Amino acid sequence: MHEKEKDLIDAFLRGQVDRRGLIKGLGAMGLAASTAGTLLNFGQTRALAADFDWQAHKGKTIKLLLNKHPYADAMIANLDNFKQLTGMNVVYDVFPEDVYFDKVTAALSASSPEYDAFMTGAYMTWTYGPAGWITDLNEWIKDPAKTNPKYAWDDFLPGVRKSCAWNGQPGGVLGSDDAKQWCIPWGFEQNNITYNKGMFDKVGVSVPGNMDEMVATAAKLTKDVGGGVYGIGVRGSRSWATIHPGFLSAYANFDQKDLNVSADGKLSAAMSTAESKAFHKQWVQMIQESGPKDWSTYTWYQVGTDLGAGASAMIYDADILGYFMNGGDNKMAGKLAFAAFKANPAAKAPTPNIWIWSLSMSNFSKDKDATWYFMQWASGPEHALFGATKMDFVNPVRQSVWNDQMFRDKLNKSYPGYVEMFDVSAPGASIKFTPQPLFFDLTTEWAATLQKMVAKEVPVDEGLDKLAESINGQLKEAGLG
Amino acid sequence: MTAATIQRNRPSGFRISKRVLPYLLSLPALLVCIGILIPFLTSVVYSFQRYRLSQPWARQFNWGDNYISFFTDPKFWNTLEISLLYAGITVVLELLLGLGIAMLLQKRSTLNNFISIMLLMPLMTAPALAALMWKLMTNPGFGVLSYLASLIGLQDFRWASSPSTALLTVVLVDIWVYTPFIMILLLAGLRSLPTQPFEAAALDGVPRSFVFFRITLPMLTPYILTATLFRLLDSIQQFDIIYAMTQGGPGDTLTVFQVEAYLNFFQSTNVGRSAALMIILWAITYFLSNIFIKNWLRLRERARGHA
Amino acid sequence: MEHTSLLERILRGIALALVVIFFMFPIVWILMMSFQTNETILRIPPQLVFEPTLANYTALITGKLMTAAGTLDIAFMRNLWNSVFLSVTSVAVALLLGVPAAYAFARHKFRGSEDIAFTLLSFRFAPALLVLLPLTLYFQKLGLANTYIGLIWVYQLICLPLILWIVRGYFEDIPADIEYAYRIAGHSWFATFRKIALPLAGPGIAAAGLLAFIFAWNNFVFALVLASADKQPVTVGALAFITSSGIQYGQISAAIVLSITPTLALALYAQRYLVEGLSLGAVKG
Repeated sequence: MHEKEKDLIDAFLRGQVDRRGLIKGLGAMGLAASTAGTLLNFGQTRALAADFDWQAHKGKTIKLLLNKHPYADAMIANLDNFKQLTGMNVVYDVFPEDVYFDKVTAALSASSPEYDAFMTGAYMTWTYGPAGWITDLNEWIKDPAKTNPKYAWDDFLPGVRKSCAWNGQPGGVLGSDDAKQWCIPWGFEQNNITYNKGMFDKVGVSVPGNMDEMVATAAKLTKDVGGGVYGIGVRGSRSWATIHPGFLSAYANFDQKDLNVSADGKLSAAMSTAESKAFHKQWVQMIQESGPKDWSTYTWYQVGTDLGAGASAMIYDADILGYFMNGGDNKMAGKLAFAAFKANPAAKAPTPNIWIWSLSMSNFSKDKDATWYFMQWASGPEHALFGATKMDFVNPVRQSVWNDQMFRDKLNKSYPGYVEMFDVSAPGASIKFTPQPLFFDLTTEWAATLQKMVAKEVPVDEGLDKLAESINGQLKEAGLG
Repeated sequence: MTAATIQRNRPSGFRISKRVLPYLLSLPALLVCIGILIPFLTSVVYSFQRYRLSQPWARQFNWGDNYISFFTDPKFWNTLEISLLYAGITVVLELLLGLGIAMLLQKRSTLNNFISIMLLMPLMTAPALAALMWKLMTNPGFGVLSYLASLIGLQDFRWASSPSTALLTVVLVDIWVYTPFIMILLLAGLRSLPTQPFEAAALDGVPRSFVFFRITLPMLTPYILTATLFRLLDSIQQFDIIYAMTQGGPGDTLTVFQVEAYLNFFQSTNVGRSAALMIILWAITYFLSNIFIKNWLRLRERARGHA
Repeated sequence: MEHTSLLERILRGIALALVVIFFMFPIVWILMMSFQTNETILRIPPQLVFEPTLANYTALITGKLMTAAGTLDIAFMRNLWNSVFLSVTSVAVALLLGVPAAYAFARHKFRGSEDIAFTLLSFRFAPALLVLLPLTLYFQKLGLANTYIGLIWVYQLICLPLILWIVRGYFEDIPADIEYAYRIAGHSWFATFRKIALPLAGPGIAAAGLLAFIFAWNNFVFALVLASADKQPVTVGALAFITSSGIQYGQISAAIVLSITPTLALALYAQRYLVEGLSLGAVKG
């Protein structure tokens, strides 16, 4: 590499040149933007090489299965550095999110040795782990001969790290001492409020501080903003994806659970309590009054699209969905703001349920040690910082990245309230579901029940009693209840 | 008769026995398909097992339990009912509409030919993507169809998101995608009908309705049967449109066979139950196609007899 | 048919116009969206006026998608090529296998012929999900997973029965006498098949092939489950525009337009055969 380029990159790393200036500068020197991404992190890569034999698997090739996602994009942009560092080759298949998990299930259920590592959500590992498709990663993480000294496993946010570890017992506590690390967190989403500041100001409302206020604020927004804008965007499709964002985060804030675990490890439905019924009533009322009109077909991209196009005034959903809607060619880019949300007035802090994009190692991989080399690099502190500061790798799962001033400045500059929201809600952020093999059956049925309630086909109380009864039956039949 | 003559008159050289030839001709096709029979049988075995990928230790034969549990499961009966209803409604409507359009385009002209090809475009759009577009067009805010509906007074029409109109909406999309298939088959049929009976009827001043019901329809029956067969058996297995539009909701409004089986397989990884559902669906399609094909063959025999 | 009253002609015209509007409106709307970005697509209420842009097509064709997060590579043209390759070869193989079989069923009533024909047809109706899991397992063992050959084989489930059923009807309706006459003249069976039966059944074969092509083109579950990313068809490729940073309706529309175009071109080219060919021969009376 030429001196001039090195200087420019070092200047960028010191913060003297911004990203556009850097790429422009490198372009003038005849370097394409994609190469620039690689060079960016060259400095960090050089630092990484000390004290560990990164070249141990030189010449080997591993294959990844990736979801089309900014996380994967960030990794691919930095991948040449890994290749240089290790002398390994990495190939990958990228599939659209809409069909991604079907592809994962198909590949793993056929015991395909094609993919060594893949992206997954933590919930999915509750199927993959017991099925014997993925490996407990503790074996590698805890082995100093295989993991580089700068990996800093303790740097991962504890709630997120623990949410990816489960002992395999239905109803077992996530992150317990005997838990297996089924996946390594990569990036995660907390469920909070993203709102349209202009609309809030126009109507004269402030960010709701609890569930009652949210229902009222959303109703007022629906009534007063005009132009067909509705108050609150939440998901509603017949899928687990409807339960896990805002809905479960608020539900958990009222100390409610999906399942009870008895002393002898038997599971039973926990959603027919009086508190749960009261919460469900409020939630259903909120959607009926001020949710999207075709709520029951809504999944994440519609919730996001409406906010970005100015059709909704706020969303109670993944914070990074709001993050992305605040950029790009969205009409509302730069006009959105963020706030943590605590549904229960009596609760001390928000308790967002989280979605974690993570990396798992296939049990059918032919070279697990080599695969681990990739995984520890991809989930290592250097790549996390690169992704967070130079690409859109939010939310990072490492505390060190959140402590990084450059990253905080970047967020504060364009995403008002984001850092504060994170700081308030991250301590309470974890997966609030009970890990068990019927996760998808039960959450799909839960979503279907919500749909019936919103459509007024069944009263809330009766619907929840029926749901609990049906869930108990399924748990018994599967030998869990 | 003639065949025997051929045998005798054949020039010398390599001869394939008349008896073997048809088998030889159809064998490759059969062999290619027979490969599918093995996975099919494997699935039959799965359907007799308690088999969840997420609980491999609990895998065992439970024989008919998967099937027996269906009988007492209201969800299964709902699935059966909605699948048959969906198939029935779509096929009947598409048949009527397809026949109507085919009759409008019956006359051979450049314009009619061009229109008939243009009308095939919905069929060329992958149903999953078509459904995505319909979802946008029926969005209450951005959707052009919602907007048009509001202009004629349907302000609050909820399309696929309300239990009362969800079926109607997916049927509408199904009609949009698949009516052209029936239309083109029936158009081909109509244009190939012999002209004499119609000319004779016209000379005799026979009423048009009589011509339609007594001449056109009976002569068109083989085409109608073929179109119905393919459409019915596809429709009862509909997945793309329903899943992309509603994922089986709202509530359990549209949990047809394939949606249930898909969710059971890919999300719950309950292979046993999914396979049992599919076997029942397969049995239904087998039964239906048997009826249709028997009738089809009989009709053809009769037509041949007349000729 | 010639003596239609004016009123009837008007009514027919109106009916036809309604039909064209119903079926073509979504297509036209998709075409319009393909020249827009989300900014103008997502307006309340939707509007007709917009400034057309070729950005969607440029992104699809060059494979570079500019987003807020930087430039992303997309493989849409590769997907399109895969669709063309898979559909064309599958239909070609299905014709090669199906036409002789159809001829056998039509011309030679042999023991079990109806049963075999029905068995072949019934594969068309086996739900894909039913065979998918075992199929992936066996493909893994046979080394067919992630190969074009494996996919083409599975695509026969879509193409072969359709071709067989339509072409068979066509053969049956061609008077057998012509072929007999030719054979009596001393020509071999194969020559008769090639020189007489095939040309006569041409339109039927073309039409069946086109329909099979459309159904193969629209399929995506087989490739998704059985092959890796570089062998995916357009149907899977178009879903890539549902991204975490929003759904790109303009690009999906452009993808639909591009994916319809080859089939439409084929249909227009084969227009003459299409309608004639689906008439199952029908040279009766």
